[in-house]
Amino acid sequence: MAALEKLAKLCAILAGILMVFITIMTCASVIGRETIGKTIVGDFELSGAVAGAAIALFLPWCQVRRGNIIVDFFTHSASTSTQDKMERFGALLMALVMALMAWRTSLGGLNAWTTGSGTMMLGFPEWIVYLFMVPAFILAASIALHQCVFGFTPDAKEANPELAV
Amino acid sequence: MSAIQLTLMIFGIMLVLMAVRVPIAVTMFIAGGIGYVAQAGWMPLSNFLNNQAYARFASYDLSVIPLFILMGHFATQGGISKALFNFAAGVMGRFKGGLAMAAVFACAAFGAICGSSVATAATITNVAYDEMRKHGYSGRLTTGTLAAGGTLGILIPPSVPLVIYAILTEQNIAKLFAAAMVPGIIAMVGYMLAIGIYVRLVPGHAPEKDNIANSSILSALNGIGPIAVIFVIVFGGIYAGYFTPTEGAAVGAFVTFIAALLKREMTVEKFKNCFYATAESSAMIFLIFLGADLMNASLALTQVPAQLAQLVGSWGLSPVMVVAAIMLFYVVLGAVMDELSMILLTIPIFFPMIMGLDFGMSKEYTAIWFGIMVLMTVGFGMLAPPVGLNVYVVNGMTKNKFDAVPIAESYRGVMPFLVADTIRAILVLMFPAISLYVLQFMK
Repeated sequence: MAALEKLAKLCAILAGILMVFITIMTCASVIGRETIGKTIVGDFELSGAVAGAAIALFLPWCQVRRGNIIVDFFTHSASTSTQDKMERFGALLMALVMALMAWRTSLGGLNAWTTGSGTMMLGFPEWIVYLFMVPAFILAASIALHQCVFGFTPDAKEANPELAV
Repeated sequence: MSAIQLTLMIFGIMLVLMAVRVPIAVTMFIAGGIGYVAQAGWMPLSNFLNNQAYARFASYDLSVIPLFILMGHFATQGGISKALFNFAAGVMGRFKGGLAMAAVFACAAFGAICGSSVATAATITNVAYDEMRKHGYSGRLTTGTLAAGGTLGILIPPSVPLVIYAILTEQNIAKLFAAAMVPGIIAMVGYMLAIGIYVRLVPGHAPEKDNIANSSILSALNGIGPIAVIFVIVFGGIYAGYFTPTEGAAVGAFVTFIAALLKREMTVEKFKNCFYATAESSAMIFLIFLGADLMNASLALTQVPAQLAQLVGSWGLSPVMVVAAIMLFYVVLGAVMDELSMILLTIPIFFPMIMGLDFGMSKEYTAIWFGIMVLMTVGFGMLAPPVGLNVYVVNGMTKNKFDAVPIAESYRGVMPFLVADTIRAILVLMFPAISLYVLQFMK
């Protein structure tokens, strides 16, 4: 799990850097537009594409932290071990969903590669975004599967609701 | 299977999985997926999924969400909140219950650069809780105030739930933000009044006098200055037409980071924490998006939502009553579900219903006003027992400090604020102009 966790952290940092890239590019584009009347060509679509990669890369860390919201209402009086079993079952379903997404997204990516589809103005190749997404889904699936089989790490068990919206 | 049976099956699967602690996003994904396969077969579903992640994640419009979240976390980690609370305490300290009012003010001001309710509550709790308890405020009033104050984080723009509403209903984000402004200010004033009345009616929860020195001009500049500058840059820029809301979010994240640097509070460790926190919140939201997409696609195939909208339209009910009924439904649903799942799951069903009714105003104004109503009602769900997320978070942060506050005390503490919320919701329901009036000043 330690290795998976490290990878997830790495993904989150990489995604954060991508987000910072979007903010800097957007600021440059806005300043350019309002001062010298020139924008960065295709900044909108580049922001979208980069955000796509970043959001996928956010997924593994969220799974490590068990950031996905569950409903506590019906089972809050159940014993800890029952709750744990249920949540491991939830992790199994999460692993299946993530694996399904990894599989289908890789096919989508292959399709984007063969058809050479790109964004409207820059022609930025879509498959590059898929290239970030598929490993992120696979990593999230592995983490969830690990949690299902070996249980949750105590560190992650300490839920951090501060981060919820 | 008839359409109704199918719909019931889809919801049934979702609810059963939800009841056994499966993450909400996954329950929607699985229930929606099964419903989709049952109606259209596996091939269409698999084709749908091939591009689903790209369509949802790599979207310019949606990138506004992680950007606003990142901005909020820069603000949270950046040490902006402490000076803000101190300033507010200096101004409000002269009133009875002044520190509690100062906490509400700090939440509202912080909400102007943070789009999350829980993050706002947690941030201000960090700087205000000890101070309030030291001055003799009861655990009940302190935790109640901070939990309620947090909801100002989503009411006052920027607001992540409102962005999601705007995207789902294809409405203008800038206009929705503007429409939330006055209800947000009313909420702040309402909470302060609630405090003022409560401390007089129920003795023993606040000291007679706070004994805090008045704020100097310098502390005011230091306290409110950074937030005012960021707010003016972001929203001034959006409303003056310099940039789109997404660009505004990016610019906001950038200037908030600069403000944090100037405060000399940012370390590499904190910077990383901003990324981790953004990762967690954003991934959580976008997974719910994926699940809700599948759920809604599958419900749309049954055509039940469209029929339901027609049916309700044919009953000839008073439109305001329909909205009131939906709000009540949200209050009940809010007891078990988080606000984002609620919005993503129900808006595709309720929105067409509302748009089919005649409120005597334009479609656009109806959509915006309904969005504000929804936003206020989900805020209610974050406070009300049995599971008010804000109450949980604030209460959880008070452990090991002073005497621990029992959760039941915290729920008692939010009651005056829930009364204020209810009055405000009824006001905006009866008089939509409260929220819509500002829109006529927009281009």
